Amino acid sequence: MFNHIGLRNALKTLIFGLLIVVLGDIFGAYNQSQLTVALIYFVGILSITLLTGLSGQISLGQSALMAVGGYSTALLMVKSAVAVWWAIPISIVLSLIAGWMLGITAARLSGPYLAGTTLVMALAIPSLAIRFESVFAGDVGLQINWPEPPKFMQTIFGGLTIEKWQLFATLVWVLIALFLIMNIFHSRTGRAWKAIRDNEVAASLAGIHVQRVKVFVFVISSGFAGLAGALYGLRGIVGPSVYPISLSLSLLTGAVLGGIRNIVGAGIGAIIVVFLPDWINKVTGSFELPQKITDYLPALVGSLLLILTVVFSPNGAAGSIFGKNAKKK
Amino acid sequence: MNTFLTALFNGTSRGAIFALVALGLVLVWRGSGVVNFAQMGQAMFTTYIASTLIAHGNSYWIAFLVALIAGGLLGGVVDILVMRPLHKHSGSSLNATIPIIASLGILGVLQAAAGMFWAGEERGFPTPVNSLGLSISGKVMPFTEFDLFVVGVVILVLIATTIFFTRTGVGLAMRASALNEEVARLSGIKVHYMKVLSWIISGAASSLAGLLVTPASNLSPNSLDLILIIGFTSAVVGGLDSLPGAVIGGFALGLVISFVNVYLTPENVFLAILLTLVLVLIVRPQGIMGSKVGRRV
Repeated sequence: MFNHIGLRNALKTLIFGLLIVVLGDIFGAYNQSQLTVALIYFVGILSITLLTGLSGQISLGQSALMAVGGYSTALLMVKSAVAVWWAIPISIVLSLIAGWMLGITAARLSGPYLAGTTLVMALAIPSLAIRFESVFAGDVGLQINWPEPPKFMQTIFGGLTIEKWQLFATLVWVLIALFLIMNIFHSRTGRAWKAIRDNEVAASLAGIHVQRVKVFVFVISSGFAGLAGALYGLRGIVGPSVYPISLSLSLLTGAVLGGIRNIVGAGIGAIIVVFLPDWINKVTGSFELPQKITDYLPALVGSLLLILTVVFSPNGAAGSIFGKNAKKK
Repeated sequence: MNTFLTALFNGTSRGAIFALVALGLVLVWRGSGVVNFAQMGQAMFTTYIASTLIAHGNSYWIAFLVALIAGGLLGGVVDILVMRPLHKHSGSSLNATIPIIASLGILGVLQAAAGMFWAGEERGFPTPVNSLGLSISGKVMPFTEFDLFVVGVVILVLIATTIFFTRTGVGLAMRASALNEEVARLSGIKVHYMKVLSWIISGAASSLAGLLVTPASNLSPNSLDLILIIGFTSAVVGGLDSLPGAVIGGFALGLVISFVNVYLTPENVFLAILLTLVLVLIVRPQGIMGSKVGRRV
């Protein structure tokens, strides 16, 4: 298992982790929590990269799967008083199961059928929270939070603020996810997924069980989406408004803008989607624009970028930077 | 009994609107192989245009006409500016997903632009006729004048579309290029024009749907998202490649939603839509009227 690729991936993951820790130390409280969100988006976008970029299936229902992860974590923590370090893995397992159920339906579908069905799902699943209010606490949602940081962390980092602690606690899970995904990309499994994306008939002739693998991709992708959802909820609240359809669309936007085929692209996408509103505010702050313009400007710029990307460079930012590599794949 | 009739008439009138939406989706799907997720975003935009015209003292009918024309133009512009340039990527392995992502981008642009122009404020939208319960010889009926108007307009549109596709040369050419692009091109049909035309007709039809559905709720940049989802489900139920199927699917969904609303609770509506969709996809994935061969799944 730990051949040289595994080692190299572990090293890359560690370097990435260190980078985030250093950034977290430099940033102020606001940017620390933005960085946390970006990390969570990174995992969410990677779940799309696996699904769409690697295996060619599209899902607009990632927000619903994130809701599964978030609600499982919240219910386990609030109703059953399970510790967060157990609640997250259990919610990932539950998300895997949800993904499997979705996958057996979805593996029969493709293109617009899949997009539409997952879109309806993204709408219907959060509505369950209102439908079964006694369990899921309706519109108000459930409050969860990371537990107090352990003592030794306090001494190392000296006065750990909430934002910083959230960032580091999130980072641990993101690094695990990142390491796993890097390995999937370079594994036999990942190659089978790419084969299906590029040509289903050829893939099945090469001995790949297309239907089974498609379901499998959905399951794996859902696990990561569930993790992202759990981490997203742990910022404070799990409720229907935390996981709206627009979350799915933001993730997809990030995935496409950064480059849907590789991990670096997912990172670039996460940074763009999360920090774009801040950057735009910085630029427009010097002009006195009416509020209705500034409110909608980030959405407009994001969507315009999305259209421009698919029209001019469908492999996204990372795709154009690493153009040669992208072709080789 | 009265509840039942209310649900029935309400479902028929809403179903007529969903049929229009589904028709728009099917037209573009057949014409250019794209499911246009921006369709109701376009309709939202043109409904805002109509609403602004009315607010400036124009009559409902002028606004109505302008919205329809704007809807058609917007549809054509989307095809020419965004969808046609995408063809140069055809052959890429993400062929099927790229137009979907593009249409979501268009939806985002339209919603953000509407927010900018109209401050994202919720506003009502008038009806041209009375929308209170119609009373005939003193008895209040379970439907309104506006319901009758909606059903009447939609039936007119359906008849016109049928005549267009079965009795005119252009309609025949459109069907031909939807059926087989290569052969149609070889027979001298300008396939590009046919594609734009399908986007234009679809844009106008969905604009009409927007005008008809908005009085029931409020107009806001996101207010028609749900209608798109229902319209998509209707189209799949009826068969994504069948125009009559779209109409049947629309009415079916209208009735399902209306009965769930009346006999269960509104919270169940989303689940009912999902359940209907999944059930159809499992039992009869090509839809009620769809052809198995033509299904591009």
